[in-house]
Amino acid sequence: MPRVARHYVLVLFITGIGLLGCDRRSDVAFNRDIRPLLNENCVSCHGGIRRQGDLNLLWRSDALLPAESGNRAIVPFKPSESELIRRVTTYDTAERMPKDAHPLSPEAVTILRQWITDGAKWDVHWAYKAPEEPALPDVSLTSWPRVPLDHLVLSRLENEGLAPSGPAPCSKLVRRVSLDLIGLPPKPTAAEQVCGELGYEAFVDILLSSPRYGERWAAMWLDLARYADSKGYEKDIPRTIWRYRDWVIKAFNEDMPFDQFTIEQIAGDLLPEASDEQHIATAFHRNTMTNTEGGTDDEEFRVAAVIDRVNTTWEVWQGTSLSCAQCHGHPYDPFRHEDYFRAFAFFNNTADQDASNEYPTLFEFAAADSAQGHALLHQLRRIDGKIAAATATDAVRLERIAWEGMLNDPIEIARVDGMQQGAVQRIARLPEEERDDAQRVFLDHVFGEISTDQHLDSLRQERSAAVQEVQELDAVQTPVLQELPAGKKRTTHLFERGSFLTPLQKVEASIPASFRPLPNDAPRNRLGLARWLVGTDNPLTARVTVNRIWAQLFGVGIVESMEDFGTQGLPPSDPRLLDHLAIRFSQTHAWRLKSLLREVVTSATYRQDSRMTPALQKKDPDNRLLARGPRFRLAAEQIRDQALFVSGLLSSKMYGPSVMPPQPEGLWQNPYDGSDWQPSDGEDRYRRGIYTYWRRTVPYPSMATFDSPSREFCVSRRIRTNTPLQALVTLNDPAFVEAARALAERMHAAGYNEADRIETGYKLAIISPPSPETMRELVTLYHEGLVHYANTPSDREALGTDTAEAAALTVVANAILNLDTFVMKE
Amino acid sequence: MLHQEARQASLRHVTRRHFLRSCGAGLGAMALSTLSGLARPLDPLAARAAHFTPRAKRVIFLHMAGGPSSLELFDHKPELARLDGQECPDSLLKGKRFAFIRGVPKMLGPQATFRQRGESGAWVSDHLPHFAQVADEVAFLKAMHTDEFNHAPAQLLVHSGSSRLGRPSMGSWVTYGLGTENANLPAFVVLLSGGVAPDAGASVYGSGFLPTVYQGVQCRSKGDPVLFLSDPEGVPRSLRRRSIDAINRINEETHRDVQDPEVLTRIAQYEMAFRMQTSVPDAMDIGREPEYIHTLYGTEPGETSFANNCLLARRLVERGVRFVQLFHWGWDSHGAGESEALNGGFLDRCKETDRPVAALLRDLRQRGLLEETLVVWGGEFGRTPMLENRSGADNPFVGRDHHSDVFTMWMAGGGIRSGMTWGKTDEIGYQAVSGRVHVHDLQATILHLLGFDHEHLTYPFQGRDFRLTDVHGHVVHDIIA
Repeated sequence: MPRVARHYVLVLFITGIGLLGCDRRSDVAFNRDIRPLLNENCVSCHGGIRRQGDLNLLWRSDALLPAESGNRAIVPFKPSESELIRRVTTYDTAERMPKDAHPLSPEAVTILRQWITDGAKWDVHWAYKAPEEPALPDVSLTSWPRVPLDHLVLSRLENEGLAPSGPAPCSKLVRRVSLDLIGLPPKPTAAEQVCGELGYEAFVDILLSSPRYGERWAAMWLDLARYADSKGYEKDIPRTIWRYRDWVIKAFNEDMPFDQFTIEQIAGDLLPEASDEQHIATAFHRNTMTNTEGGTDDEEFRVAAVIDRVNTTWEVWQGTSLSCAQCHGHPYDPFRHEDYFRAFAFFNNTADQDASNEYPTLFEFAAADSAQGHALLHQLRRIDGKIAAATATDAVRLERIAWEGMLNDPIEIARVDGMQQGAVQRIARLPEEERDDAQRVFLDHVFGEISTDQHLDSLRQERSAAVQEVQELDAVQTPVLQELPAGKKRTTHLFERGSFLTPLQKVEASIPASFRPLPNDAPRNRLGLARWLVGTDNPLTARVTVNRIWAQLFGVGIVESMEDFGTQGLPPSDPRLLDHLAIRFSQTHAWRLKSLLREVVTSATYRQDSRMTPALQKKDPDNRLLARGPRFRLAAEQIRDQALFVSGLLSSKMYGPSVMPPQPEGLWQNPYDGSDWQPSDGEDRYRRGIYTYWRRTVPYPSMATFDSPSREFCVSRRIRTNTPLQALVTLNDPAFVEAARALAERMHAAGYNEADRIETGYKLAIISPPSPETMRELVTLYHEGLVHYANTPSDREALGTDTAEAAALTVVANAILNLDTFVMKE
Repeated sequence: MLHQEARQASLRHVTRRHFLRSCGAGLGAMALSTLSGLARPLDPLAARAAHFTPRAKRVIFLHMAGGPSSLELFDHKPELARLDGQECPDSLLKGKRFAFIRGVPKMLGPQATFRQRGESGAWVSDHLPHFAQVADEVAFLKAMHTDEFNHAPAQLLVHSGSSRLGRPSMGSWVTYGLGTENANLPAFVVLLSGGVAPDAGASVYGSGFLPTVYQGVQCRSKGDPVLFLSDPEGVPRSLRRRSIDAINRINEETHRDVQDPEVLTRIAQYEMAFRMQTSVPDAMDIGREPEYIHTLYGTEPGETSFANNCLLARRLVERGVRFVQLFHWGWDSHGAGESEALNGGFLDRCKETDRPVAALLRDLRQRGLLEETLVVWGGEFGRTPMLENRSGADNPFVGRDHHSDVFTMWMAGGGIRSGMTWGKTDEIGYQAVSGRVHVHDLQATILHLLGFDHEHLTYPFQGRDFRLTDVHGHVVHDIIA
């Protein structure tokens, strides 16, 4: 809106009053005082998306330029010449900013004016600065801290006038740490040992060396990796990628340092002499969805997969919602539209292309077929070489030129695979010299498939015979990342408004300008990016990662918005604690998660009792200050695993193809694919939840009810709900009823009278002993059940039990598996 | 991005706080109530007032999945009949993307006979003889358009306002905004027929980044209407009641000890689960309906059919369910085979849906429910006036390709001006001439009828306030009575 001259005098007048009437503030900090003001009131119109009046307040360089009106919103050191100050103070509501909203408070205006007087300095958002090791603060309760983080927590509590809670009762703490470290409760006997002579620290070490540990922590990582056993989109047909799931479990169990864990997943294929396992690790980014619906354009969904890789990488390692910059400049954070496609370029050069055969895949042959398999793969490479040579002969090239001229002819284009037609036509429209290497190779390949040349035809037949032979061998094929070699590379363009159909100028791979750039000698590919993410001067990776770990243990991250450390994310509840943990993790513990976990779970902070008090409930309902231990509902997998474990049903079998424990019939109804849920046999019915077949559009119902995500995209935070449908699962799902029956059998075997048996069952599930009141309730329930089943043998049989006692115990066990204390970690 | 969510630690806690902030008008209904002598925490599904007085209190959305051809149902195009068999001019194809049509297709005349119906004189083809008799009840939107021409993204766009996964569906937004009037039934119920689920799966009725209490609950005609609703075999109701009493009393003891409000929520949810075990089967049991109702709808108890689902929809809204979403699969009339041909499966779909849809409107009317119940009918996109003919010239089946630029939907009841037509297409039904309505406009209008300003029914997620209509949507005031 152009400035209106007749208000000029009035403006000076107001400005004058403002200057006289306000105190000078000595300590205006951009991040604390100014950025929130700008974000809340200004940038939705004058920011990364909309630049009304040609004003962008995200960047200092932009904000100081004259706007469309010719005025400068901000003139450093000169608030009275800054249009911004005039517009937020004018009484003319047509001109006053923020538009159509309440005027800024006088305090806010004072702060803005002071900031401009001081030179309108911008500051880097806290999360983009390196973590600093805080000095350990003095505390009054010097006997409390056990590890350094306790000093930080305690000093915060003391500042708030709070005292920490007492230590949790030993049996509760043992259950808590066991659920946290291995995702399963302890056995009651183990708890007795720990609370007796074994000691807590020794128990922590036992848990950390259990193979169950990797299964528990992999479950967290697989949400980030959007791991699933199906390809997603409309058809959502099966995908074989469980070798990646197993890789993650092994990596956690072997305590692979997080920097290596990162590099292998993002760029394992680019490591020198990469092993099979390192190739499997790159399946992290092959968990993107593949669209096999007829009529879709492979290139469109290849691009969608690359976009997902960019977004996922930045969310998982940098807690940054770079995805906003896909279509336009980021609305709040300092990322430009170009930054997005520079980041995109790192991932835009892999060989996968939304093909329904998942190419490229890593073949792992069974021992018996290994020699033959590798020979066939070698033969296939040779045939491909011959086909490339044959496609380059003069005869074929002549045929090819004619073909390219006829691509608008529906009959001609119909010879091309439907999902490649769009790309073929788009490339054919480009003049030769504008096609990039990958496009040339692609067109060669497509033409090689349809050329009528006799030699090519016989080579194609030779190849399909070899492909057929390979497919018949016993092998696991896992989709992996494979970098396109020189001569076949793609060129990355900026896409106008994020659409692949409107490419603009070329861009090269680089880190968004607001971050530290790649070192000069670093390769400009995924390997360079991966090393940059875990480089010593990356401010975010360690913070974002320890924050995830913290949330697993305490229920909420130090930064609550785990997915967003940007300016619109929430600030850390305790920046010193976050920085301390980040430095401990990446430096002291050399990125080893087990060491970090050992330190946290042995802290006094972690060992606190989780009971609330009315005062604490009022002051800190979400326990952000950590004046008590954590208490929150277990994750979906843990709810299942725990019920199977305490009833003695849980299988300890690890790895392998995903299994299909029983689920209600008729859930899988796919318009296109007759695939069916085939309930597994034997111990595969009782495997841990992490091995359950994960179909994106039809997730396993009992776990989905407990908030497991669909895994279509990376999920940093599962939102915990508490619904009646969850009660129906644990009360009635045949899997839980079976667990109750099995628990009842253990109860029956363990004691001579009902009280013994019930107490045993309760302790198997909850670990701590039941209170007299609880015992009274359960014993009464038992007797009511006993009367019913003694009188109604048909119900006893229907429940699948042999005696009225067993049936009544099953009812009691079912109640125990539904207690709040059972589904909660506390 | 899917479900990554909102900025809150204890979701329910903050959700409640969010209600307190943004839905002040509904505070009365959210006051603490008592249950088993305990203070009950604020219920995220408690009935709440909207932004302004609503015209409709509930919605039945009849989604004809696959994209029914308007050219055979409502959009009468004599000129297209004249052009039948002629090659499509280049000018119509330029700059268009189709799912399957490649090269130059031929025009395909309407495969139906049309008549004007009722007092309004609305054109309805002979494929829908029952609906034709109630055509005066509805307002036709003849120039609907969308951004997507593949099923899954187009269905997502209709139901969640975005063609990408991860946004809350309309039913979730509505129950988030209004809560429910019957705490014994799910607030948002989904009923599927046609043998297959929607292309985009459960996401078309998912809660996206809203709390999962707002997601659609699929009720089934076979087996348990809600998963795991039945007590285990051999556990009678009386014993189940006793179990829940024992569980809840022990949980009350736990609450006295640990003072965590989450325990109270759990107690309330177990009570709700117990009530649902009775109320859901009762609502889903159409066997108790009188014979004349079965004749009206053409229902057969025990079947999984669109007719049964229409009757269920009426029973559910009668009981205060806020949003009932029906999906009927099989309208994807490409003509590549009999089941998906305009002279094949399409006719079966018409037969399966014609009588029940008419019955639903009549039944709601006779019960006085139509005034406050908004009924919406439509697919995710339209179909081309060109013959698709994917499999060659000798194909005996005819069909049309997906078409995003124009299609017909209709709405009835709940504040809609009945007996009118809004929007007009060109003489071959290929492009809109006037009265274009984007699916975001449809969503804005539905929310408006429910009493919401669509720009202010928002939820904070990933750094901004999201809404069903994203940054789009205009209310179509012309079709509101």
